[in-house]
Amino acid sequence: MTRTPLPRTPNRLDLIEGSRALDEQLMAMIIALTSEVTVLRARLDAAERLLVAGGALQAGAIDAYVPDDAASKEREALRHATMKKVFRPLREAAEKELEAAQNAKEEETSR
Amino acid sequence: MIEIPEQRAALDHPLIALPDHDELVEQLFVRDLKVFVGSQLEPTVAKLARHEDAAIPAAVTNNRPSALQERMNEHESFRTWQVMKREAQRHLWATVADSVERQGDELERLAQIEKPLGSVRTNPDFQVPAYILSGDIHLMPGGNAHDDGSLLQGALMDRGGAVYMLGRNGGMLNDLRGQTAIAHALTRFPDFAPQRILDLGCGIGTSTVPAAKAFPEAEVHGVDVGASILRYAHARAEHLGAAIHFSQQSAEKTDFEDGSFDLVYSCVLFHETSQAAVMNIMAECKRLLRPGGLMVHLEVPLLHDNTDTWTELNGALEAQYNNEPNWRGALTADYRGLIEAAGFRDLMVGYQPTSQSARQGPFRFGEESEGVFRSWFIASGVA
Repeated sequence: MTRTPLPRTPNRLDLIEGSRALDEQLMAMIIALTSEVTVLRARLDAAERLLVAGGALQAGAIDAYVPDDAASKEREALRHATMKKVFRPLREAAEKELEAAQNAKEEETSR
Repeated sequence: MIEIPEQRAALDHPLIALPDHDELVEQLFVRDLKVFVGSQLEPTVAKLARHEDAAIPAAVTNNRPSALQERMNEHESFRTWQVMKREAQRHLWATVADSVERQGDELERLAQIEKPLGSVRTNPDFQVPAYILSGDIHLMPGGNAHDDGSLLQGALMDRGGAVYMLGRNGGMLNDLRGQTAIAHALTRFPDFAPQRILDLGCGIGTSTVPAAKAFPEAEVHGVDVGASILRYAHARAEHLGAAIHFSQQSAEKTDFEDGSFDLVYSCVLFHETSQAAVMNIMAECKRLLRPGGLMVHLEVPLLHDNTDTWTELNGALEAQYNNEPNWRGALTADYRGLIEAAGFRDLMVGYQPTSQSARQGPFRFGEESEGVFRSWFIASGVA
């Protein structure tokens, strides 16, 4: 049957005194991400255990795995891409501050 | 720590929404997060609060919790704890709702009962009380009265309630309050054999089924405000082999005849209503009971039975941020006065130890709370 989705936002969320909306949003996102990571890790654990049980993987094989040069390079690129993606706002904010400070300096010198 | 069971066959009834691998991990995560907030963050916040409380001049006796809250608002960790607590609760409903929706068809199929022992009666013209509409109780999105024509809101309430209670209230059956209310009736009248029983604010019937099980000869009714949760309550009771008649009505004013019940009871209903509603419910109980019939109301421990300002403030925050519309009203009420004013006699107001199974007791009653979840506040009287 076609059904309407269950509601996800409760009616009435009183303001927590002194708390900024953004703080609450950030906290909610961190909880959701931690939850996702927990689920991912459990899923990976299940996959490993099932592979070992099915004989496709030797117990301890993942912990003993050492990536070769090509794999290491690919992993490095992935790490950098992730960091760039996640911490983009901090880099942008720092660059903006630097730019503002430099502009102020230039104005001062040209005066 | 009690695990949340995941095998349908191992459960007490098959209707409860079952999580798949990832959903179970997420529900356990929410459960553990709530335990973390309660056991790792809250004790420090409580210490801070007691430190601040000691600094409030002794002369401040009027509304000390409010004075304490003002001081606590200066602390970032106090706010963080509140935000974490509420977000954990929101995350609980979100993850359970995903899981319930995924198996919607299966749950609807399980709810098709061929020869039901009981019944369900919904009312499309039902006027939902304002205290239900003013905020979704326990932050359950949509609230108790939400109805999309299915029984999924009931499924959400059942599974969410079981995860919320962290196994402290009878695991997946979530029925210790109902067992305790019935154990109280049997404490008062060991040979009690009611013919008609009514559970007010029955929700998904967690507290109604114990009455049907303890008194298999009785005709048992349950009323609540939401059609979806009542449809679920009906199917759930059938799977548990309990003959119960559910109907969508306000506990303040039902359509049952005068003097037609021997036992009318409620479990943690008052703090989800209003002060006016509590008086109306008492009067309705008097109207519904035959002379000599028994009224039993079960609640969480009263506020004046808490000894310090922090515990009281913590309760008030729970009421405000977890949407408990009548927390303060219900937990500071003068139950002796209310019950007497409603025309009842032989009052008993105090604490009944938590019962695992009504027929097994414990059959004792005292003035002192034995602790949250170890005993429940009860106010009872004879019509």
